[in-house]
Amino acid sequence: MKRTISIMLLILVLAVSVVFAGGDKEEAKDEKIIRIAEQVPGLITPGVWDGQAFSMNGSIYEYLAEMNPDTGELEPLLATAWETEDGSTWKFTLRKGVKFHDGSDFNAQDVKYTIERTQDPTIGHLKKQDFEVVSSIETPDNHTIILHLDEPRPTFVYQLTDYNMAILSSEYDYASLGESKPMGTGPFMMQQLTPKESALLVRNPNYWAEGLPIVDKLAIYFVPDIDASISMLESGRVDVVPFITQVIKTRLEKNPDINVISPYQEMRFISMRVDEKPFNDNRVRLAFKYAMDPQIIARSVAQMDLNDGIFYNETPIMNILAEYKEIPLRGRDTKKAKALLAEAGYPNGVSVPMYYASDHPFGKELAQTVQELAAPAGFDIDLKGYTRDIYLSQYWMNVPLSITGWAGRPDPSMLLLLAFRGGGSWNESHIDNPKINALIDNISEEANEAKRLSYYHELQEVFYEEGSLIDVQVPLLIAVSNKIVNYRHPLTQIPQYKYMDVK
Amino acid sequence: MKYFLYQLKKHPLAIFGIAIIIFWLLAALFGPSLMQFTHTQIDSDFQMARPGEEGHLLGTDSLGRDILSRIIYGSRSILTVALLTSILSTIVGIILGFMAGYFGGKIDAVFLRGMDILMAIPPLVLSMVVLGILGNSTILSLTLIVSIAFIPATARVSRGVLLTEKSQEYVSAARIRGEHHLYIMFVEILPNTTGPIIVEATARFAYSIMMVASLGFLGVGLQPPTPDWGMMVIENKPIITQAPWAVLFPALAIASLVIAISIFSDFVSKVLIHEQ
Amino acid sequence: MNKTLLFILKKLGSLLATLVIMSFIIFMLVEIMPGDVAQMILGQSATPEAVSALREARGLNDPVLKRYGRWIAGVAVGDLGDSIYMQGVAINSILWRRVGHSIILALTAFIMFVPLSIFFGVLAGVKENKLSDSIISFFGLATMALPEFVSGVFLITIFAVQLKWFPIVSVIPIGESLFSNLNILILPALSITFVMFGYVSRMQRSSMIQVMNSDYIRAATLKGMPRSYVILRHALKNALLPTITIIGMNMGWLFGGLIVVETLFGFPGMGSLLMIAIKTRDVPLIEACVLLITVIFSLSTMTTDILYSFLNPRIRLQGGQR
Repeated sequence: MKRTISIMLLILVLAVSVVFAGGDKEEAKDEKIIRIAEQVPGLITPGVWDGQAFSMNGSIYEYLAEMNPDTGELEPLLATAWETEDGSTWKFTLRKGVKFHDGSDFNAQDVKYTIERTQDPTIGHLKKQDFEVVSSIETPDNHTIILHLDEPRPTFVYQLTDYNMAILSSEYDYASLGESKPMGTGPFMMQQLTPKESALLVRNPNYWAEGLPIVDKLAIYFVPDIDASISMLESGRVDVVPFITQVIKTRLEKNPDINVISPYQEMRFISMRVDEKPFNDNRVRLAFKYAMDPQIIARSVAQMDLNDGIFYNETPIMNILAEYKEIPLRGRDTKKAKALLAEAGYPNGVSVPMYYASDHPFGKELAQTVQELAAPAGFDIDLKGYTRDIYLSQYWMNVPLSITGWAGRPDPSMLLLLAFRGGGSWNESHIDNPKINALIDNISEEANEAKRLSYYHELQEVFYEEGSLIDVQVPLLIAVSNKIVNYRHPLTQIPQYKYMDVK
Repeated sequence: MKYFLYQLKKHPLAIFGIAIIIFWLLAALFGPSLMQFTHTQIDSDFQMARPGEEGHLLGTDSLGRDILSRIIYGSRSILTVALLTSILSTIVGIILGFMAGYFGGKIDAVFLRGMDILMAIPPLVLSMVVLGILGNSTILSLTLIVSIAFIPATARVSRGVLLTEKSQEYVSAARIRGEHHLYIMFVEILPNTTGPIIVEATARFAYSIMMVASLGFLGVGLQPPTPDWGMMVIENKPIITQAPWAVLFPALAIASLVIAISIFSDFVSKVLIHEQ
Repeated sequence: MNKTLLFILKKLGSLLATLVIMSFIIFMLVEIMPGDVAQMILGQSATPEAVSALREARGLNDPVLKRYGRWIAGVAVGDLGDSIYMQGVAINSILWRRVGHSIILALTAFIMFVPLSIFFGVLAGVKENKLSDSIISFFGLATMALPEFVSGVFLITIFAVQLKWFPIVSVIPIGESLFSNLNILILPALSITFVMFGYVSRMQRSSMIQVMNSDYIRAATLKGMPRSYVILRHALKNALLPTITIIGMNMGWLFGGLIVVETLFGFPGMGSLLMIAIKTRDVPLIEACVLLITVIFSLSTMTTDILYSFLNPRIRLQGGQR
C-alpha cells in the first residue's frame, strides 16, 4: 500500500510539473498578427449571414463599395465608379485584375450572380425584398454591369454595401462550402477554421490593392462570453473585442493599454406590434411612451446622461443624422399613461410579454429598466429573454413587444423600407400605415434632397403621434488594444482590417 | 423531542446549521416585505454603490439594484425549488423503489433497467438539456425536471431500504393476515424506514440547491428579473473588480445555505442512525 | 478468468441496450423543442415556400421513427450528422477534438482530487475528533458547498486576475494544441477538485473510522503492531473499497461539473460545445453531444463497477446489480 501511495504522489508531482512546464508561448515575432475575440457565429454564408463574425467575413469578402469611416462617404472597392441619372438605372464599372481566392477572375458575371442570388427561393436571402426592385441586369462587357430598377431608388448604391451583399464567385459552390470554406476576393483568406472555436486568416498574396493588407494574419477566437473575451484582452491574448457593454467600458477605463472606441451609434427598437391587442390601439402605445423616462433609461442602461452618448426618440431616425427632426421629449407622465390605458379599455392595466436578446449588449439592462418603468403605469411586463440566435430566428417578428438591436443604415431609407413600410421583410411591428407608407415611398423615390428632407420631417411627426416604436440609441463599443494602429469601423458594420497595423 | 434536544447539545455545529436554515426560511417568508427596496427597483443614481451606501446594506449592482433585496427575494425561488424537488423526488422515489423492491421479479427488473437508463445521463446534463430545449424556465418546470433527474438516486435508496425490511417478521405476518400490498408497503414498512429516507431527502436538498444554482449559472434557470442566486453571480462577474460585493454576497448566500443543509443532514443521519 | 470475462461482456451488453434506449429518448427529447429547424436556418424573413422546400430537402417531413432510424443508422457507423449552422461540416470534425480535451481535463481533475481527498480523508479518519480532523472536515464541508462556478470565480479572481499565475480564459491559441498549453487546465480542474474533495474525503474519513473501530484492526493493534503499519497495511486496504464506489457514484457530479467549468473558463471541451449547441438550438449537435456524454459517462461508471468487483471478489460472482 505504501508503494501505491508513493506511486500516486509521483504521478501527482509529474502531472503538476508537466502542466507548469507548458508556459505561455510567444508568437513568432517576424509576422504581424491581429487577434480578435468575437462571438460564436451562426450562419456565415453571405445572404443568410446573421450579422455576427464581422471581422472574419468582412475580411474574406468584399463589396462593390466601402465606406470611409471618417467622412461617411462611399469609396470604390470592387466597383471603380458608379452612376445613375434618375435613380432607376445604375451603371457600375468594375475593377480589373481582381482575383478570387481560388484563382478565378472577378468579372461582371460574379456581380450578376450575387444580385440574382438574392431572389433564389431556396436560400432565404435576407436581401430578397430589397432587390426585388431590380427588373433586369445587363453585362455589356466583363467589367461593366447595368441594373434596371422598376422604380427609381436614388440611394440604391447603399444597398450594395449591406453586409449580406458581399460579392460571390459565380463558379463557387456556396451552398455546400459557404459555411466551411468561405471564399471571396477580400484582403484575407481562410487558412484554418475550427468551427465554434477559432479561425485563422492569412493575407491574400494576390490582393489587388498595392501594399494592403498591412498585417500578415488575423487570428479570430469565437468566445461565447463577452466577459471572457475582455479577460483575454486584459491579459494580452487578443487585441480587439467588438460589441462590449458600457459596464465593461468603465472597467477598462483604468487600463492604459486598452482604448474603448465608439465608431458609431446603434439602435435598440422597443417595438410594439400594431396588428394585435393591446398595441393595436394607439392610446396603448401612447400610454407606453408616457410611462418611459429617457433619462432613467440612459442612466441605467449605459451609466450616461441622456444626449451624452445615448439618445432617445420615438422615430426610426437616429438623433445624429442630418434627417433627424428635433421633437421635444414627452416627459414621464404615469397618470396620463394610466388614463390613456383606461380609455383604451384597460382600466386595470394590461399584461404583455416582452421578448429580447439576452446576450446582446444593453439588451438585458434595457429590458429590465423598461419593465420597471412601465409597471406603475399599469403594464405588467413578462420578460422573455433568449440568446440572440434563438430570439431572432424564433420569436422576433411574431411577438407583441420586443427589443431588437438595429444597426443604422448608411441611408435611413433602407431601414424604413425594411422595417416600417407595409410588407417590409423585417417589419417587426407589422405597421402598415397609409400615411407612413406614402412618406416612405416618397423618400425612397425622391431625388431632390430638400424635398426628401421635408418628407423625413413629416414622417417623424407621424411616428411621434402614432408610431410603433421607441428608439434608444446606444454607442457601439469596441475595445481595442493600443498596439493596434488605425482601427477603422464604418457604419456599414464591416471593420476594415486591411488598413490596420500592429505595433 | 427531548432526545432531539439532547442530541443538539451534543452537536453544537448542528445548532449553527439549523440556525442558518431557519434564518433563510424566515428571510424567504418575511424578508421581501421588510426590505427598503424591491428586488427590481432601479436606482440609476447609485449604480455599483458600496455596501452601506444610501441604505444599500450590501451595495448595488450595475443597474443600481439593491443586492440585499435581490438575495433575500432570490431565497424564495431557490428554497421553493429545492424543497419541492427534494420532496417530490423522494416521494416518487419511494413509490417506485418500494414497488420494485416489494414485488421483485419482472417489475424489479424493469425498474432496474429504467433506472440504469436514467442514470446513464448525468443529472445536470439531463436538466440543462431539457430546460434549455424548453426555454424560459419557470419554478414549475425547474422543479419537475430536477426532480426527474434525481429520481434514480432516491428510488434506488428506497428500494435498498425496503429490501432490508422485507425479510422482517412483521412483514410476513402482515402478509399472512392478508393485508393489501399497498397497505403493507406504505403503512407497515414505510414508518420503519423513515430514518434512511429522511437522511437521503436532506442530502437531496443540498444537492438541489447546488443544482439549481448551477443551472442558473448556465443560463437555463429562472429568467430575469427574478433574482436567481446562481444567475446573480454570473451576471455580475464582469464587474467583479469594480463591485466585488455584487458577486461575493450571492456566492456566500449559496455557500451558507448548502453548508447549513449539509451540517443538518449530517446531524440527522447521526441522530437517526443512532436511534436504530 | 472466464467468469470475469463473462461478467464484463454482460456489463457491456447491458450498456449497449441502455445506450440504444437512451439514444431514442434523446432524439424524442429534442423533438419537443419549440421551433422549426428549417425556419431557424432560413430566418424569420423566409417565405413559407422556402421553408417547406428546405424541410423536404432535409427529410424533416418524414415520420419521427424514420428520422430516428436514419440518425441511429448514421451513428452506428460513426456518422453523427451535420450541424445546423455549418452545412457541410460534419459534427465528427468538431466533436472528437473537444471530447479529447474534456477527457484530459477530467483526468487532470482526477489526478488532483483522488490522492488529495484520500490522503486527507484517511488522516482525518485516523485522527478522529482531533484538531486536524476538525480542520479537514470543515474545509471539506466548505469546499463541497461551493458550486464549481462559485469557486471558479474566486479562483479566477485570486490566481488569474490578482496573481496572474494562470490564464483567466482557457482558450487554446490558434495553431497550438492543448499539450503545449497545459496550464489552462489547472484552474478548471481545481474548481472541480474543490467540490469533489469535500465528498470523497468525507466518505474516506467515515469508512476509515469504521475500519479503525473494527475488531481485526483492534486485534492487530493489541498484538503490538506499529500503528502506522496497521493503518497502511490493513486499514487502508479495506477503507479504500467504499471510496471507489463513492468516486464512481460522484462521476455524474463530475460530468456536470465539467460542463460548468468549461463554460466558465471557455475551455474548448464537450461541455462548452453542448452549451453552445443548446443556446443556438442546434439539434443534431445537441443530440451528438448528449449521446457522447452518455456513452463516456456509462463507460466510466461501468469501469468503477468492474474495478470494484475485482477488488471485492464477493460481489464479482453475483454479477448484475450492485
